[in-house]
Amino acid sequence: MASETGWEGPVLRAADVTMRFGGLVALDDVSLEVPAGRIVGLIGPNGAGKTTMFNVLTGLQVPTRGRIDYLGDNISRWPPHRRGRAGIARTFQRLALFSRLSVHDNLVASWESSHPGAVLGRNRAKRIERVAEVMGLLDLWPVADRMAGELSTGKGRMVELGRALCTDPRVLLLDEPGSGLDAIETAAFSAVLQAVVSDGGDRHPEVAPPAVLMVEHDMALVMDVCSSLTVLDFGRVIARGTPSQVRADANVRAAYLGDASAV
Amino acid sequence: MSQYWPFIVIGLFTGSIYGLAAMGVVLTYKTVGVFNFAYGAIAMFCAFTYWQLHDSWGLSAWVAMPILFLVVAPLLGVALEALYRPLAGLSAEVLIVVSVGVLAALGAVVPIIYGKQDRTLQPIFPTSTFALGSHFHVGYDQLGTLVISLAVAALLWALLRHTRFGTSTRAAVDNPDLADMVGVHGDNVRRSAWILSTMFAALVGILISPTQGLDVNQLVLVVIYAFAPAVFGRLVSLPLAYIGALVLGVVVSLLSKYANSGTVANVEAALPYLALFALLVIMGGRLKEAGASSRRLSVSTRSGGGSGGAGAVRARHWAVGVLGWRLRLERKLTVGLVGFALALFIPLAVPGPRLIDITFAVVYALIALTLVVLTGWAGQISLAQFAFVGVGAFTAGHLSGSHGQHFLLAAVVAMAFAAPLGILVGLPSLRLSGLYLALATLAFALIMDNVVFNRGDVSGGLTGITVPRPKIFGLSFTGRASLYELALVVLGVVAVAAYAIRLGPIGRRLQIVRDSPLAASTLGVNLTVTKLVVFAVCGMVAALGGTFYGALQQAVTPFDFMWSTSLTLLLLVVLGGRSLISGALIAGAVYGVEQLPIPASVNQYFPLAIALGVIALAQEPEGTVALARREARRVMSVLRPLPRRSVGGGHQIPVTAGPDVAIAAGRSPMRSGHGL
Repeated sequence: MASETGWEGPVLRAADVTMRFGGLVALDDVSLEVPAGRIVGLIGPNGAGKTTMFNVLTGLQVPTRGRIDYLGDNISRWPPHRRGRAGIARTFQRLALFSRLSVHDNLVASWESSHPGAVLGRNRAKRIERVAEVMGLLDLWPVADRMAGELSTGKGRMVELGRALCTDPRVLLLDEPGSGLDAIETAAFSAVLQAVVSDGGDRHPEVAPPAVLMVEHDMALVMDVCSSLTVLDFGRVIARGTPSQVRADANVRAAYLGDASAV
Repeated sequence: MSQYWPFIVIGLFTGSIYGLAAMGVVLTYKTVGVFNFAYGAIAMFCAFTYWQLHDSWGLSAWVAMPILFLVVAPLLGVALEALYRPLAGLSAEVLIVVSVGVLAALGAVVPIIYGKQDRTLQPIFPTSTFALGSHFHVGYDQLGTLVISLAVAALLWALLRHTRFGTSTRAAVDNPDLADMVGVHGDNVRRSAWILSTMFAALVGILISPTQGLDVNQLVLVVIYAFAPAVFGRLVSLPLAYIGALVLGVVVSLLSKYANSGTVANVEAALPYLALFALLVIMGGRLKEAGASSRRLSVSTRSGGGSGGAGAVRARHWAVGVLGWRLRLERKLTVGLVGFALALFIPLAVPGPRLIDITFAVVYALIALTLVVLTGWAGQISLAQFAFVGVGAFTAGHLSGSHGQHFLLAAVVAMAFAAPLGILVGLPSLRLSGLYLALATLAFALIMDNVVFNRGDVSGGLTGITVPRPKIFGLSFTGRASLYELALVVLGVVAVAAYAIRLGPIGRRLQIVRDSPLAASTLGVNLTVTKLVVFAVCGMVAALGGTFYGALQQAVTPFDFMWSTSLTLLLLVVLGGRSLISGALIAGAVYGVEQLPIPASVNQYFPLAIALGVIALAQEPEGTVALARREARRVMSVLRPLPRRSVGGGHQIPVTAGPDVAIAAGRSPMRSGHGL
C-alpha cells in the first residue's frame, strides 16, 4: 500500500466528479480532499448530493465522469470491496447493520471481511485483540450479545462506527452519524470520534489514525469536530473553508435559508 | 409469405391468452406487491370448476359462465386477498414461499375435489373454420378468443386509465398510507385487484384448456409462459405485458414450423423460459421490486438480551474467540452424533423394503441441506435446486459402469458438471435478488427440464436410463443396508461440515451478505465471488445427492427431475425449517413418509397438508422446529412446579404461562439459529 511508501498527499481525493441520473445532475464537477489526520465535513441541504458522493467514493455507484485517488492511486475503477480492503470504510445514513448477528459478531464479521485470509480462520489472535479494543473504545460490551437489529439508533450508529474501525481504515466516511442521536449520545459520539482521529482508538503505533469525511446536519457537532468544510447545494460545491469561514459565507446562508440561524 | 400466416394466427391466438395471464399477474403485482406464482394453478382450478359445472353437471354455458365469473372467481379472489393481507410488506422470500404454497395447495386440492380421470373441456366457441383468402382457414374459436382477449385487455386498460378505480390504484400503490388519509380505501383497491386478476385467470383457464388439455400440471406450466411478457413489462406495464405475450406467441408458433423434432423442438418448447431468463439477466439492475424500500424483516428480532456484566461477557467472548466454534457447538453436536449413532442401527429394526424409503429420506435430506445453506443461510432463493439432482443422477447412470464400479468417478464428474451450472444459475443473483432471482432460477429449472433432461442422449427419453448401485474401492453397496449406511455417512459428514461452517467465519460471511450486501461489500466482501461460490458448492452437493438418488432408484427418467420437483423441495425445506440443518432432516423425513405405501385415499391429502403447512409457517425460518419448540415450552411452562408460597403472602402474583411463553418466544429464532 502506498502508505508504507510514505505518501504525503491527501488520503482521499475526488476530482471533477459528475454524476447524472438521466436528466438529473446529482453531482456537478465536485472536487474535494481529505487530508491525513483531519476531520472534514461535507454539508448541504437535503438532496444536495452528499450521500451520492459517498456512494461514488466507496464504489457503490460509478460516476458519469471524474476521478478518485486514494493514497496517490487512481481507484476510480476499483470495485467496492477492493476499496474496503484498502482502507476506505463508511457508515450509512440509513443504518445497514447485520441485523441478525450480535453486536460482537458484527465487528468480527467486519474484521474478517477486510483482512485477507481471515475468512479461512487466519490471524484469529489479532482479530480477537482488535475487536475487543474497538468494543471497549465504543463502550459496546454491555450490548455485545444483543442482535444488532434491535438496538436503538444511537447504539446502532456506534456499531456501524465500530464495524468501520475494525477494517483498520485509513479514511472513515461517516454519513450523518449524529442523526437520531440525543444530546448525550451526540456528545459521547463527538468525544469518541476525536479519540479515534487522535490515536486511532488503538494501541498500534504502526497504524496511522484514520482521516474522516463526514456528512452531518447537526451544525453544533460539525462546528465542534471538523477542521474544514465543503458545502454542496444541488450537486455543486458552493463554498469551502474552515467552519468559521463557511459560517460567514453568504451563499451558504442563502442555500440553507431557514437553517441560516443554526449555522 | 402465405405459408407463414397459419402460424402467425395460431401464435396470436395463444399469445392473446398468455397476454391475459400476463396482465392478471401484473395487476396484482403492481397493486398488492405479490407476484402470483400460483396464477396458472388458479386458472387451472377455474377451468376444472367450469368443467364440473358445464360438462359434468350439464349446465348451459349461460348459467355456468356467470357462476364461474361472478361467484367462484370473486370468492377465490377475496380469499387470496385475505390470505395475503397480513403479509403486506414482508420480504420477497416469504411472499414467494406463500404463493408457491398456494400453487401446491390448488394443485393438490383439484384431484381431491374433481377426481383424477382424464377429461377434456369443450371449447366455448365453435371449432369450425372460415376461409380467409384462398388457402387459409381461421377457426372461429381462434378468432373468438382473440377478439375476447383484445376486448377484455382494452377494458382493463381503460378501467385503470379512466376510472376512479385506476387513480385509486395508482394512489394506493404509490403511497398506501397517504392514500388512506385522502380517502382511498387501500383494502378495497387491493380486493378489487385480486378479484379482477382471478377473473382473468378464470378466462385464461377456460380459453386455454380446450387446446392444452384439462390437466393439473399442464395448465400450471402453461401459464408460466406469461411470466416472460410480464417481466418484459417490468411487472408494472399492462400494455407492454400484453404486447410481449402476443410477440412471444407468434415467435414460438413460427419456430414450431421448423421444429418437428430434436434439439430445435426442445428449444422451441423452452423458448418462453429462455426469454424469461434472458430478460431478467439483461434488464438486471433496472428491475425494481414493488415496495422493496418499505420491507420489514419477516421475523422481529427480539432476544433475551445479554446476561452477566460487561466483564464476564468480554471474558466469554475471548474464550469463544480463542477456542473458536468448538466451545459453542458441543451440546448440539452431541445430540446430532447420538442421533447419527442410533440411525446407524435402523437397518436392524427395519430390514425390509421399507429401508429403501428410509434411505430415500436420508438422500433427500442431503439434497434439502443444500437448499438450507443456499436459501436459508445465504438468502439466495432457488427454484431450481432439484435440477442439480438430475444432473447427478443422469451422470451416475452414464458413467457408473455396468456394476457401479465407477461410481466414485461418476460422482466427481457430476459435481464437476454441477459447478459451472451452479455458477450459471447464480449469475442472475449478481444483479437480482428476491423475486427476480426466484423467477430466473425457475426459468433455469424449466430450461434444464425442457432442453437438457428431455434429450434422449442425456436421459434416455421417456423410458429413462438405469443407474447401478455403487461399488467403491471394491466394496459393493448393492444391499439395502449397506447403501443406507453409505448414504447416512455422507449425510452425516456433510451436515457436520455445514454446521462447523455455519458457526465460523464463512457462516458469518453468508449472514452478512444476506443481511446487508451493500455494507458487506464496502467492508471488503467480494459479493460476486461469495454468491457464485455458494451457488456452485450447493449445486455440487445436490449433484452428489443426485448420484445417490439415482443409484437408490436404479432407474431415472426426466419426470423425476421436472421443474416442479424443485418447488416441492423448497416447500419441504420451508416446512422443516429453512434456516436449520434439522429442517433439512425433517424435509427428508416428510419425503420418506410420502414414499410409504399409504392408501391413495389418505395419501392424496398429504401434498395438501404440506402446502397448507407451508403457507402457515412461511414467515418462520425455523419452520416446524420453531413450532415444536414453542409448543414444548408452552407445555413445560404449565407443567412447571409452582414456586414455594411465602407464608401469608396471599397476594403473591401467580406464575402464569404468559411471561414464560413471552421469554421462550423471546429467544429469537436467529439466536438459537446455529441449528442442528
